[in-house]
Amino acid sequence: MKSVRNRYGIALVFGAAVTLANGHVHIFSQQKDASSGFEDRVREYAKQRESIEARLPAMPKAATAAQIESHEKALLKAVVAARNGAAKGAIFTPEAEELIRSIVSAQYKGRDRVQLRKELAEAENASVPVKVGSVYPEAAELLEMPPTLLLALPQLPKQVRYRFVGTSLLLVDRENHLIVDYMTDALP
Amino acid sequence: MKRIYLFTFALICSAAFLPPPAVAQGAAESSSVVAASSSAAVPLTLPKREGSLRMAVFGDAGRGTKDQYDLGKVMGEYQQAFPFDTVLLTGDNIYGPDAPADMKKKFEDPYKALLDRGVKFYASLGNHDTSNQRFYAPFNMNGEEYYRLEKNGVSIYALNSNYLDKKQLDWFIDQLSKDSKSWRIAFFHHPPYSSGGRHGSDDDVRLVLHPLLVKHGIDVVFTGHDHFYERVKPQDGITYFVAGAAGKIRKGDLKDRSPITDAGFDTDLSFMMVEFAGDEMHFQVVSKARKTVDSGVVKRRD
Repeated sequence: MKSVRNRYGIALVFGAAVTLANGHVHIFSQQKDASSGFEDRVREYAKQRESIEARLPAMPKAATAAQIESHEKALLKAVVAARNGAAKGAIFTPEAEELIRSIVSAQYKGRDRVQLRKELAEAENASVPVKVGSVYPEAAELLEMPPTLLLALPQLPKQVRYRFVGTSLLLVDRENHLIVDYMTDALP
Repeated sequence: MKRIYLFTFALICSAAFLPPPAVAQGAAESSSVVAASSSAAVPLTLPKREGSLRMAVFGDAGRGTKDQYDLGKVMGEYQQAFPFDTVLLTGDNIYGPDAPADMKKKFEDPYKALLDRGVKFYASLGNHDTSNQRFYAPFNMNGEEYYRLEKNGVSIYALNSNYLDKKQLDWFIDQLSKDSKSWRIAFFHHPPYSSGGRHGSDDDVRLVLHPLLVKHGIDVVFTGHDHFYERVKPQDGITYFVAGAAGKIRKGDLKDRSPITDAGFDTDLSFMMVEFAGDEMHFQVVSKARKTVDSGVVKRRD
């Protein structure tokens, strides 16, 4: 009798451990899906934008200020036209937002989180209109993205950058400064 | 009497051949060592050795203000006495809009004298700079946000500390692992070490970059972001400078008695001149009022 009880006990503990492990695996798998889905959607934007840029006159690597300004404006106009109707959440889906909040939360605990909030609040970028399809103003500060956070977040193609404005996390086109998508309350 | 004359003559001859006093790494040399220059009013502490690499370094400049222009004029005067052909910009090259008229007002005109003499500027990006500055011809970035150049046997790495992503770090490590040059320096905007009150040390940049810089033999790092000048005590053999006072000065922002400061100056705009000669990097820091506020020698790490 005692040996039967022991066997049931062992089976119960084993079963609980497997369920727990499966739970963790399931969560990990969900996060991996959310991350790769997010990266895929950003890559789609980058691909679309590359094909648009390929139709414009090439920007020389040693350009005048006038050439840079002209290229920037032409690229912005063409991309905005191609993305007419783009809405918030097309890239930052609810699953992606949850993933990113968990990453930011894991990276910034306690004093570090307080410090980051302080830096975000002091940044000279309050004039940035946090809205899909708006342009990140030239005059606004481009707050440094903490390198440790950049290493932890889903990786982006070279044409797109993460940017904090307050506690919102934006995806901004590196060259035409278009706000491609954003999420609020990225810093829990 | 004849012996006295001979003795005095011998003393003068031997003094003429004495080497300059050696200065330990990290120690400031007083600005009493002054070399005559082609422009009589410009005091230099730099040796101007044949074949040396001569540069100026400054940052946080691009405001288009009278202060910036005034310091630009001082740079022009010193360049005539100490002919540097290279300038490293530690970021915040242009504040606010960067339309053609702004580039003229905030960069081309303040440094016209240097540009007209063929001085080449190499920029790194600060938090007030858009990525598109990498295409701007006078910044010599060749379309890249981070790059390496080599001058007179010195490897010079420009990094983008606004966005230190995996791609940039992988590139940096790859370049360093192949680098055979004995002098290696880096310049970028956010200081891993700074005694500034407004910004101060960027802990995240330090966490990621400093171990790489130590491991791969970087000797000197120039940064900006804080609007003053600071020479930081050597950190694991690396001498860090904050050279962010070329456009605006944040008076009193340098913390008193900071444990990491070897020398600092936060009451006027300033810029650095450096000379790489053999195993030594000589430096002189000059204010808008034409005062030498720091000078010395950094020896190359083994």
